[in-house]
Amino acid sequence: MAGALGLVGRFVRYLGLAFLVPAAVALGYGEPAWPFLASGAITVAAGWLLVATTGGRQRIGVREGFLVISLTWLLVPAFGSLPYHFANEAQLANPIDAYFEAVSGFTATGATVLVDVEALDRSLLLWRQLSQWLGGMGIVVLAIAVLPKLRVGGRQLLQSELAGPTELERLAVTIRETARRLWVLYVALTVAMALVLAAIGWSGLDEGMGVFDAISHAFTGISIGGFSTRNDSLAAFGPAVQWAVAAFLVVAGVNFLRLYRLFVQRQPRALTRDEEFRFYLGFLALGSVLLVVEMVGNGLVGAEGAVRHAVFQAISIMTTTGYSSADYTEWTALAEMTLLLLMFVGASAGSTGGAIKVVRHLLMAKIVYREIRQTVHRELVLPIRLSGSVVDERALRSVIAFVALYLIILALGAVGLLIDANRYDVEVGAFAAIGAAAACLGNVGPAFGFAGPFGSYEPFSDLSTGILTGLMWLGRLEIVPVVVLLTRSYWRP
Amino acid sequence: MRILVIGAGQVGTTIVEALHADHSLVVVDTDPDRLGVLAYRYDIMTLEGNGASRRVLREAGIVDCDLVIACTSRDEVNIVCGILAEKLAPKARTIVRTRNVEYLEVWLERQLDVDFVVSSELETANAIARVIGLPAARQTEVFAEGQVLMVEFDVAPGMSVGETVGRELREAVIPPDSKVASIIRGGRVLVPRGDASIQPGDRVIVICSPDAARAWGHILSGGRSRAADVVVFGGGATGVAVAGVLLEQGARVRLVESDADRARVVAEELPGVRVFHATGLEADFIERERIGGAEAAIFTMRSDERNLYAATLLKLRGVRFTIAIVDDPASVEVFERAGVDVAVNPRIVTAEEIVRFAHDPRIRQLSMVEGDRFEILDIVVRADSELLGKPFRDLPMTGSLIGAIIRGEQAIFPHGEDMLQPGDRAIIFTESARMHQVERVL
Repeated sequence: MAGALGLVGRFVRYLGLAFLVPAAVALGYGEPAWPFLASGAITVAAGWLLVATTGGRQRIGVREGFLVISLTWLLVPAFGSLPYHFANEAQLANPIDAYFEAVSGFTATGATVLVDVEALDRSLLLWRQLSQWLGGMGIVVLAIAVLPKLRVGGRQLLQSELAGPTELERLAVTIRETARRLWVLYVALTVAMALVLAAIGWSGLDEGMGVFDAISHAFTGISIGGFSTRNDSLAAFGPAVQWAVAAFLVVAGVNFLRLYRLFVQRQPRALTRDEEFRFYLGFLALGSVLLVVEMVGNGLVGAEGAVRHAVFQAISIMTTTGYSSADYTEWTALAEMTLLLLMFVGASAGSTGGAIKVVRHLLMAKIVYREIRQTVHRELVLPIRLSGSVVDERALRSVIAFVALYLIILALGAVGLLIDANRYDVEVGAFAAIGAAAACLGNVGPAFGFAGPFGSYEPFSDLSTGILTGLMWLGRLEIVPVVVLLTRSYWRP
Repeated sequence: MRILVIGAGQVGTTIVEALHADHSLVVVDTDPDRLGVLAYRYDIMTLEGNGASRRVLREAGIVDCDLVIACTSRDEVNIVCGILAEKLAPKARTIVRTRNVEYLEVWLERQLDVDFVVSSELETANAIARVIGLPAARQTEVFAEGQVLMVEFDVAPGMSVGETVGRELREAVIPPDSKVASIIRGGRVLVPRGDASIQPGDRVIVICSPDAARAWGHILSGGRSRAADVVVFGGGATGVAVAGVLLEQGARVRLVESDADRARVVAEELPGVRVFHATGLEADFIERERIGGAEAAIFTMRSDERNLYAATLLKLRGVRFTIAIVDDPASVEVFERAGVDVAVNPRIVTAEEIVRFAHDPRIRQLSMVEGDRFEILDIVVRADSELLGKPFRDLPMTGSLIGAIIRGEQAIFPHGEDMLQPGDRAIIFTESARMHQVERVL
């Protein structure tokens, strides 16, 4: 296990460099830079200490991989929350709240305990946005891509972060090159989004969109995070910005391996032939249509507004981003139910989004259809295919196990929230509890009730905040790497 | 002719039997007992050794051979032997027998440097498809990286006359991107002029695109409104090949395999076939899956005894037509006596196919009809050809036909108003006698 800790130490050590970005921003805006420099120094020192005490050994097998992943995602937000303390931000004075905010950042969830986001310093705001960007594609994926001479296979590490049920399709011969290409694409998309948003601001289409906001939202858009620099999230901007953001979210919710084939290798067929991609678009369309019908039917907003808000919310919630163009908690119960269900759909496997993911729904549907066919024709052998190629039965079983685990953990989380809310007399209904648990486990962000789109998770007690933090952590790692650590056989030699 | 036969199993034995009278044969095998039996029965030379060994091949006198037939039971040995033969005896023609259809595909794409490849599985499957009466499309040649096919169809004898069959070609409905190259009727070859027609029972050779080949298959299946319902027993290599060929020809195919892992492999390989994991003989299964309602059942299981039992049982349960693969040549008679409609021995089928090609002096040409000789030419048109710039309808009708033109990367199936351009690659179907004339004018 020393090797695992050593590797975690190396990841943490390099994270220290990330603090230089908000420090530079702080200098630029004349805000204190020392909180970031101090955090960076502590992070580097802690990482160095971990490496030194474990002798720098890093023989990582399949077993250690799970531990590395789980620990990395626990420790990195811990260091990431340091600036919140040092900057003396009153809203994040409680360490549990600060940790929640950091986990929500790195896991690209977008849930917040802040009530007034705009009260934060610009540098602190940017750090919050940047943490989502760093975690969106995956800390370990980044580490594999940039760390020199990282002598690990990395395949399994990459697999755990780049969520999805099927075998990781390689973009290049080596894992490192694959990780590099993914990051290049990730950076390119982020730059594109920032430029588009900034252009909308410059051209006067939307006065509110400045360069700072453009970059901040590019960080949390492509990473499908959902943090905003505004209290009103995307409602602070006009229709042009909202449509542009929605378009980028749709792209970011696609499997990055397929996007790479499309943009870099010019193989559009890799995308158009992909069953998951088609169903992804289908789910988005279905969700949008349901919401539009519901809103127009109840005369909630004008025609353009109804379509825009419905489409935007469907995309934002289903891809698990969590931006908001309108307060959907004021919509009808049916609309809220639609959004809650969309939270379970999720984005595509291999994207930066979370939740169950479209491909698992697709495979579950195929498994169910097969069971039904086999009740009539018992002896029929029916391999399940995805985009034409056969899916291994083992992978299918893991899909079923994942969905079961997902629902069990969701139920436990929601029940936990209700028990705790009862004790502290916080007003949480059953729907709101399920919504909050689903929003955190699915890395969506905003939920219902007081934790709605323009609300905050602040009213939850410390224990509930802890539960929700755990859900975000589990959701980002797709549960299994963490649950494996809880089995006795894992620790047996 | 001096012929070297590698492998003295059933295929080798059948070949020796057919060719020993007219040719001098050298047979190589690793098993001295088999060679002993052959040498005792026929006047041939035998040599014990590995056919994939260069030393053994030299010793067998491969340098002086005109024809090398590699027909052991192992594909890889045969292929190595064929490749060695091409190098050791460049003037000799080589025939390689494989079981695996994939090697045949590699050869069709010209990536395997031997003269002829026969796949036992595919030959068997084609033979069965012919028996069932589906239009057996035999893909005989592939040109221009698969853009142009030359396909041979058997028109079912009982087929009713329609828009294509039975009508003069100039009025008949012909799928686009295709040309009728030849019509063979009762052993005679007809030049497909405008007044010729395709009749039931004919064999038709078509030069066409892959899409058009499917369209032809559809037309020549007689517009059957309901696909034939066929059950294949046994998911071995032969069963898979049979199921694949039948499926391609539009039949509804079910396959029964008793081994779970094998059933899974077959199901993965053939998405269009419904694969069952069952022995296929339980009364409950037969009743529930309505196996008795199938139009034909094909038995490709490993042992003759099981095939015979299963065929008899299914016949009792109402299957109209039964075809069984037999292993032992003696079983053919037993099966037919017992009431199985047709018994097919894959090795005999394979050997017959090889012998057909061995009889013919030039291997690249088609030898579908005894006594008629055709060539397929793949020629780049010269800049000074006398045919340039003339529309096709003005070209003289001789015994040759330009089936397709490859211009740039694109395959064109020429019509009356098309013209040849310098640098075109022309795929030409011609009688051998006119071959030199064609080469001269182009």
